Amino acid sequence: MSAPAAHHYTTTGLDNRKIAIWAFIGSECMLFISLISTYLIYKGRSIVGPYPHEEWTSPEGRHFEPILDIPVTSASTFVLLMSSLAMVLALAAVQNKNVPKRTTGERIIGSSKLWLWMTAILGTVFLGFQAYEFTSFVHEGLTIRTNLFGSSFFTLTGFHGAHVTAGVIWLLTLLAIDYRRGLGPNDALNVDIAALYWHFVDVVWIVIFTVVYLIQ
Amino acid sequence: MKGNSRLRQLATFGLVALAVLALGACAAEYPNTTFQPKSEFARSIDFLWDRLLLLGTIVFVLVEAALIFVIFRYRRRPSDTSTPPQTHGNATLEILWTIIPAVILIFIAIPTVKTIFQTQAKVAAGALEIEVIGHQWWWEFKYPQYNIVTANEIYIPAGRTVNFKLNSDDVIHSFWIPQLAGKRDMIANRTNYIWFTPDSSLGPAVYNGFCTEYCGTQHAKMRFRVFTVRPEQFESWVAGQQKPAAFGAVASAAPAATGTPTPPQSGVGPEGGAARAVPRPAGSVIPGSDSFPAAAPMTGASTARLASGYTFPDHQPEFAYARPNSTIPANLKFTKGLTGNAARGQQAYSSSACIGCHVITGNPMSQGIVGPNLTHFGSRSTIGAGSFPNTPAYLALWLKNTRAMKPGSIMPTLGKNEYDPQLKTTVTTGGLDDQQIADIVAYLMSLK
Amino acid sequence: MATTAVPTTLSPHATLKPDSNSGVWGWLTTVDHKRIGILYLYTALAFFIIGGLEAVIIRAQLQGPNGTLVSPETYNQLFTMHGTTMVFLAIMPLSAAFFNFLIPLQIGARDVAFPRLNAFSYWVYLFGGIFITVPIFFLVAPNGGWFGYTPLTTKAYSPGINIDFWVIGLQILGVSSLAAAFNFITTIINLRAPGMTLMRMPMFTWMSFVVQFLVILAFPVITIALVFLLFDRFFGTMFYTTAAGADPLLWQHLFWIFGHPEVYILILPAFGLVSEVLPTFSKKPLFGYPVMVYSGILIGVLGFGVWAHHMFAVGMGAIADSVFAVSTMLIAIPTGVKIFNWIGTMAQGQLRFTTAMKFAIGLVALFTIGGISGVMHSSPPADLQQTDSYFIVAHFHYVLFGGSIMGIMAGIYYYFPKMTGRLMNERLGNWHFWLNFIAMNLTFFPMHYSGMLGMPRRVYTYDSGQGWDTFNLISSIGAYMLVAATLIFVYNFFASRKRGEIAGANPWGAGTLEWTIPSPVPEYNFAVLPTVTSRYPLWEGSEKDAESARINSQEGKTAEELGIILPYSTIKPMIVALSMVVMFCGLITTMALTFLGAAIMVVSLYSWLLSPLEPEHH
Ligand code: HEA
Ligand code: HEA
Ligand code: CUA
Ligand SMILES: [Cu+2]
Repeated sequence: MSAPAAHHYTTTGLDNRKIAIWAFIGSECMLFISLISTYLIYKGRSIVGPYPHEEWTSPEGRHFEPILDIPVTSASTFVLLMSSLAMVLALAAVQNKNVPKRTTGERIIGSSKLWLWMTAILGTVFLGFQAYEFTSFVHEGLTIRTNLFGSSFFTLTGFHGAHVTAGVIWLLTLLAIDYRRGLGPNDALNVDIAALYWHFVDVVWIVIFTVVYLIQ
Repeated sequence: MKGNSRLRQLATFGLVALAVLALGACAAEYPNTTFQPKSEFARSIDFLWDRLLLLGTIVFVLVEAALIFVIFRYRRRPSDTSTPPQTHGNATLEILWTIIPAVILIFIAIPTVKTIFQTQAKVAAGALEIEVIGHQWWWEFKYPQYNIVTANEIYIPAGRTVNFKLNSDDVIHSFWIPQLAGKRDMIANRTNYIWFTPDSSLGPAVYNGFCTEYCGTQHAKMRFRVFTVRPEQFESWVAGQQKPAAFGAVASAAPAATGTPTPPQSGVGPEGGAARAVPRPAGSVIPGSDSFPAAAPMTGASTARLASGYTFPDHQPEFAYARPNSTIPANLKFTKGLTGNAARGQQAYSSSACIGCHVITGNPMSQGIVGPNLTHFGSRSTIGAGSFPNTPAYLALWLKNTRAMKPGSIMPTLGKNEYDPQLKTTVTTGGLDDQQIADIVAYLMSLK
Repeated sequence: MATTAVPTTLSPHATLKPDSNSGVWGWLTTVDHKRIGILYLYTALAFFIIGGLEAVIIRAQLQGPNGTLVSPETYNQLFTMHGTTMVFLAIMPLSAAFFNFLIPLQIGARDVAFPRLNAFSYWVYLFGGIFITVPIFFLVAPNGGWFGYTPLTTKAYSPGINIDFWVIGLQILGVSSLAAAFNFITTIINLRAPGMTLMRMPMFTWMSFVVQFLVILAFPVITIALVFLLFDRFFGTMFYTTAAGADPLLWQHLFWIFGHPEVYILILPAFGLVSEVLPTFSKKPLFGYPVMVYSGILIGVLGFGVWAHHMFAVGMGAIADSVFAVSTMLIAIPTGVKIFNWIGTMAQGQLRFTTAMKFAIGLVALFTIGGISGVMHSSPPADLQQTDSYFIVAHFHYVLFGGSIMGIMAGIYYYFPKMTGRLMNERLGNWHFWLNFIAMNLTFFPMHYSGMLGMPRRVYTYDSGQGWDTFNLISSIGAYMLVAATLIFVYNFFASRKRGEIAGANPWGAGTLEWTIPSPVPEYNFAVLPTVTSRYPLWEGSEKDAESARINSQEGKTAEELGIILPYSTIKPMIVALSMVVMFCGLITTMALTFLGAAIMVVSLYSWLLSPLEPEHH
């Protein structure tokens, strides 16, 4: 949203958008809590495989390996974590745009463009991993219609993926602005809010990774 | 002045309330009342209810009285010019009216929790087991201990604990016999239980049962009947139900009833002359539908019953409430004065769509499991899960166009040239004509 | 368009007249919280009439045994849409009308935090409401009950298009409620005038504040429940497919985790309105203000811990039953505190029985009845006899009609002058109240009896001789009287808008901030941001309050003259809302529509977000 001109009085002194994004994140928590608890409730309720952590042989004698591939997903998780780091640096870069280089204290390593690109790319890589994961699961015989595990798994991770996608688009939008007129300290809030969202999506993934992949 | 009419308002409500409560106690007027518990389960609920009603009424009276008092005492008078005292609150008062409700609630919570554990305790050994399976929109009942399968009606001996095992074949339904117990939902992938002991003091009586979870188009007409009977009557009923289809029984019992026996296979073939001569026991006259809902008399029925174990005597005035009185579609007519022949009926039945959905033990052709088991159909008092009385007249119309009689029902329209509102087509080939229906009615009615 | 942003002085009742202030276009593009509030009010009243008419048909069908007015299929659509309409399209938006109109005025703000988002919320609500209501006119309306239990609502048992409208419609309406909630939370936290501390906020704003939190925490849960159902119906997932081992109770838990907070979303705003009306007409400040605040918060918190009291019959086991029974009973305590504090507010006052006051007292009297029957449900064994019977129907109509509607009516009579500059006719109001009060009890009190005498709810007909005939007849007569009562109200509303007597800034001698400014309210609300030093600036305020009140009360100044910058009017939020609904329509028609809608939505959303809210400051 375009910033309400500076003269607007606010009770807390904070910008409205800062408060709104926190309310939004609170709401998003309930969204993912519902998704994750559904996944947990349905864990082990599927009457046919394939299953996340156990092998399964179908009545027709077809054999299925455990679906989840933890090494690969660990890699994608690492990528997403790194993107959060890049996001932090991007924000710092925007905030300190006008701070002369080489001043002690805030030392800028790279430009806002660099780090925004970095974040967006890492996010995209994560999505790539997810696309790969989904397709390979489908080949192994797990679709969203196969069993309760398939339905709840794809819906949960799919929802998260959608959030990441939205985040990437948001970042690209910021980049576009950066290229058009350059992001300066008075855009810091816009970037800050994007960053909050990005970190939230990241944290959610950590939870999903732990609950879905690590806990057997 | 306004205040006064307001006061009258509340007063009248109080009175109406009391009056109706008094009435509520009278079972004849209110056959499904929960205020006349007929089992220990219902009674323990009723005890809680009384407690809740009492405390609730006290709270109600206190609050409304305080309100009315304030309204009259503090309404502005013309003399008032000063500003009233600008009190902002009163700690002691506010603590007081936090504590008092809390105390009242304790008096509700304790018996509540007690009753919860008492009514959900494990059922005592030796209970009568009844499996209930909900279907859209009828009830399947199984007595595993006696391997009996029946539908929409159950017999339970007074004084013996009954343990109902509740499941659903499709959507969620809920099992409720207001006078005997609370509700329990019937859910697929999940087995629920509810048990109670009908008072041993109970003589033979009928209770209405209802489905109380919205389950689709005919939720309203997913009803059932519960008969509490004396133990020996129950034994007799069980014996009868355990026999295969009593059609044969009727035949063999027929001599006792009338001179001419009706061998199951006789009267077959195009020349129905002989068959038409078959006397009533196995047949029944179907009056024209304009004489509805008067039921056609079933002569010889009693003798048939002898052969088929105890069934609850039908049409007793004191149990009129158990007799459905749904209206029948105006445009649904049936040829007057047809005589059905049970033997031909069995033929027609066995070669019709019926067998695809219904079981009649003793009729090898009839193996369908989608619909209610019809083995002892003739001994039931209602059709369509409590939609209509089980008389030849209603049954004929039911068979002719079920989906006109009970819109939405899964049983298709069978009558020739009848319009099926769901398929939006008129039944042509394979449809049953009135004579065939009359025969099938005769057959089904004879299944005691 | 920019021209519409240039404020013009408002004639009395201008804010209510669509043709005033640059015409229909002005209303389509408005971002003024007051006008949006009024749009909410009109739309929600229209839906209330529709929902009411559905109820009247229901009552006509049940007037006597074996009714044949409507077919079973139609009846099921009627009660489903009646419940859905009243809850999501009538009461919530009626509350939203007051959130929009009042909150900024009560906290001394020029507008809400995100004026364009606010417009967006309204348009989504309007289009979503139309989307979910239209099918009833073609008898293909949703027919799964207002809480759409699975598996009945899955494709296997509801193959028709009916449920699709419901699932998608509620999804759309959820977007509206959530957007509005973020907006109001921000507004209340961040746009309070200097000195307007939390503990000085008017009680209506406080209760609304609590409600917004309930919304942002409860709606995501039903969103997910609906997403599952939507996926099941459209993409073949198995969340509710019992054949695949699904648990039919998953839906019930998700729905009621939303559903119970929802009922407090429906009542708390009414509580808030009553807490404004009673002090004014008792000429006394609200009794026990802090306790009123805390009890409101407590109700909200406890509201999240009681959902399973809607599931006492599903066989949760003795322990769960006991836990939820006790947590449910606890809610009676904070609610009781409110009831008693209202009585305490009136005690020792000088009560003026205006129509608003009567409706407020009506709430106290009638909600108590509904609350008490609620506590009767909270005892699981007792509830096994009550649940899904008409006794429940009696309960929730006492709390919803006797509570929410009574409170909202009080609010309408009370704030009508602030919205229109004119007073509603008190004589007609008196008729409206008494007819409404009597008819309401006639309609719903007998349901206690039909319920306990064994009548299940959601039955399209019943046999005679069951002992229910008389009660149903009385209920139906009551319902017909309610039509008359509502017609009186409708007439009074429109007649007073034209011919009502001019009100002036503070017709009731009220004490809160919104009464310090002219009626109808100028576009900029406050000429100067007020400085607040007390809960009732007009009653117990200091010199400071009086000063800002004096300036703010003067009429006729334009924003320009005062150098106040107002946001641009814009059509974009409406375009986004419309294209979003089009996108959803694609699901039940053709995917092409979905993509079209999505495309338009993205484009218009970008052009919205990238265009400035208001002229630059100079
Ligand atoms: C405005 C909406 C609203 C409100 C405020 C309430 C308030 C309450 N409700 Fe209600 N309820 C509904 C709307 C609401 N309800 C709806 C719509 C349904 C049906 C849904 C459906 O199935 O379609 C429902 C159903 C419902 C059920 C499920 C019944 C069933 O289906 O089997 C239960 C069970 O516990 C319940 C309980 C309560 C309780 C304990 C309160 C409490 O909050 C009430 C507290 C208030 C008081 C108690 C009165 C004032 C207090 C005092 C004067 C103090 C002293 C009082 C005592 C000590 C008793 N409600
Ligand atoms: C706030 C919510 C609310 C409100 C206000 C009402 C209001 C009314 N309700 Fe309803 N009701 C519900 C919420 C509400 N209801 C819910 C949630 C259910 C459960 C649904 C379900 O089971 O799924 C329900 C269910 C329900 C049932 C049970 C149906 C069943 O189980 O089979 C009944 C039956 O009598 C009923 C009746 C009424 C009546 C008579 C009114 C009256 O008060 C209506 C009064 C209003 C009017 C009469 C409108 C006036 C009309 C005009 C003025 C028209 C003429 C004017 C013009 C054309 C301009 N309601
Ligand atoms: Cu089965 Cu309702
Ligand atoms: Cu509830």
